[in-house]
Amino acid sequence: MRLLLTPFVLIGFLAAATPFLTGCSDYGYLESVTVAGSTTILPIAEVAAEKFVQSTPDASVLVSGMGSSAGIEAVSTGTADIGTSSRHLRPNESHDLVDIPIAYDGIAVIVNLSNPIDELTTEQLRDIYGGAITNWREVGGDDIPIDLINRDEASGTRDAFTEAVMDDTPFDVGAVILPGTGQVREVVTRSAGAIGYISVGFVSPRFGTNPVKALVIDGVDPTRENVGNGVYPISRTLHFFTLGEPDGLTKRYIEYVLSDAVQFGAVVDAGYIPVTWRGEE
Amino acid sequence: MSTPGSLQLVTSRSRIKEALLATLFFACAIVAVLGVALIFAFVAYMAFPVITEIGFLDFIFGTRWSASSGEFGILPFIVGSFVVTLGALVIGAPLAVMTAVFLSELAPPKLRAWVRPAVELLAGIPSVVYGFFGVVVVAPIVARLWGGVGFGPLTAWIILAVMIVPTIATLTEDALGSIPMGSREASFAMGATQWQTIYKVVLPAAKLGIIDAIILGMGRAIGETMAVLMVVGNAPQLFAGITAPIATLTSQIVLDMGYATGTHRTALFGMGAILFIISMALVLTVRLVARFGRAHG
Repeated sequence: MRLLLTPFVLIGFLAAATPFLTGCSDYGYLESVTVAGSTTILPIAEVAAEKFVQSTPDASVLVSGMGSSAGIEAVSTGTADIGTSSRHLRPNESHDLVDIPIAYDGIAVIVNLSNPIDELTTEQLRDIYGGAITNWREVGGDDIPIDLINRDEASGTRDAFTEAVMDDTPFDVGAVILPGTGQVREVVTRSAGAIGYISVGFVSPRFGTNPVKALVIDGVDPTRENVGNGVYPISRTLHFFTLGEPDGLTKRYIEYVLSDAVQFGAVVDAGYIPVTWRGEE
Repeated sequence: MSTPGSLQLVTSRSRIKEALLATLFFACAIVAVLGVALIFAFVAYMAFPVITEIGFLDFIFGTRWSASSGEFGILPFIVGSFVVTLGALVIGAPLAVMTAVFLSELAPPKLRAWVRPAVELLAGIPSVVYGFFGVVVVAPIVARLWGGVGFGPLTAWIILAVMIVPTIATLTEDALGSIPMGSREASFAMGATQWQTIYKVVLPAAKLGIIDAIILGMGRAIGETMAVLMVVGNAPQLFAGITAPIATLTSQIVLDMGYATGTHRTALFGMGAILFIISMALVLTVRLVARFGRAHG
């Protein structure tokens, strides 16, 4: 373990030492920021890193994806400057970490257009996905059986849905499990009784797909605004964590990620919602 | 030109060549044997902790599978694999055997020249294409006729039945072709019609060959992964109806292998070992059928 950490400690030391070596950039020294953690955040962090390095010569940003827990562990022990996570800190994790939200992701519950239901509560949703409610009639709809569409256990969307909706209720094992957002959407467009959940960014039809209906949950529409404001109940925040207030190059990188160039570029492209959301596009 | 000396030279060189070629072919044969042995040893080694970490009986007869809560019962997948395979055989075997009878006994040569390559081409279609066809064409039709979303055993049966037709039809046709023409001529001479000849003389004579063909078709079906994964629904539950989603050993391994670690990973290797045992049993059955045929034929 010690052997593995040594390079990171050296990089960290180098990064910490650079401010004292005034003008070091002119002599070609390399400043670097290490970013580690969530694979969900990888596309944002990587695209931002590439562009950041282009505009900041002599700097390097090392981005790696090894899972949210590993990222939080790495930043807590100082092996990474920034730990990225698609989940909140757990009670047993370091409280010295500074939480910097970088994007939001909302999860829309979708049904077929022919379904008269427009609205569900999270309790009803939990009963539906837990298998306690099996017919749309029980929530005020038509007398047709509910066809559950779930995601596989490796899915981050499933993680977030589980946390926001299911509590400790296990999923009904009779649900059809599909391995991708596109398939969930496709099956819901053609099945009258189906219900599924997908990232808000994928609800509107693109590339000639058919429309689906996103349900109002607990009285809140799954719009980008409501997800951005934190009113919509099934959403998750994508985080950067730093050990203490960020400074130096780390601070400049984070400022760049929070700038409009990244927020309305890489963040929106990846299907997520900017933290700096300001209404219509 | 051909002095005794040069004759000697050619002989020794060709002798070395013969020996080298024999070694080369032996080496090729050994690769296959080594491959099977190494893969079996590896799967068995990786799967062994199942016994200590999960418990053999809990593993085989457990009905709950939930990697996130540490439950690893694979009975739903074993049942799923057999449900999917047997259903596909019920639909596919008669289809294939009748195709073979048509090709071997009834088809005019011109028609046979078209039908046989078509059947053989079925074997060349990649399974992901079958799966895609299942998702886009068969599943919506099943959903319209039976309700639900169209993912489940019925859809898998239809797709797999077509996939095993070439295996069974080709081997059955070989079996029928090996029946001496004299048997048929004798039957006709007794005044039997063509249909009577087929079902009273030709089919019974080729019985063991047809059984072999069906068992090999079963091996093809139970090992099929991609097409099944795409249409079966992947729900880790016991068979609950022809349109209720289920999962098979192969489909679950593929679904989970990307992120499985620790005991979960071990369980996947355990499922691989079970598949290995099933297909060895099928091959063994084919051997026994052949031995029985030699003893009683």
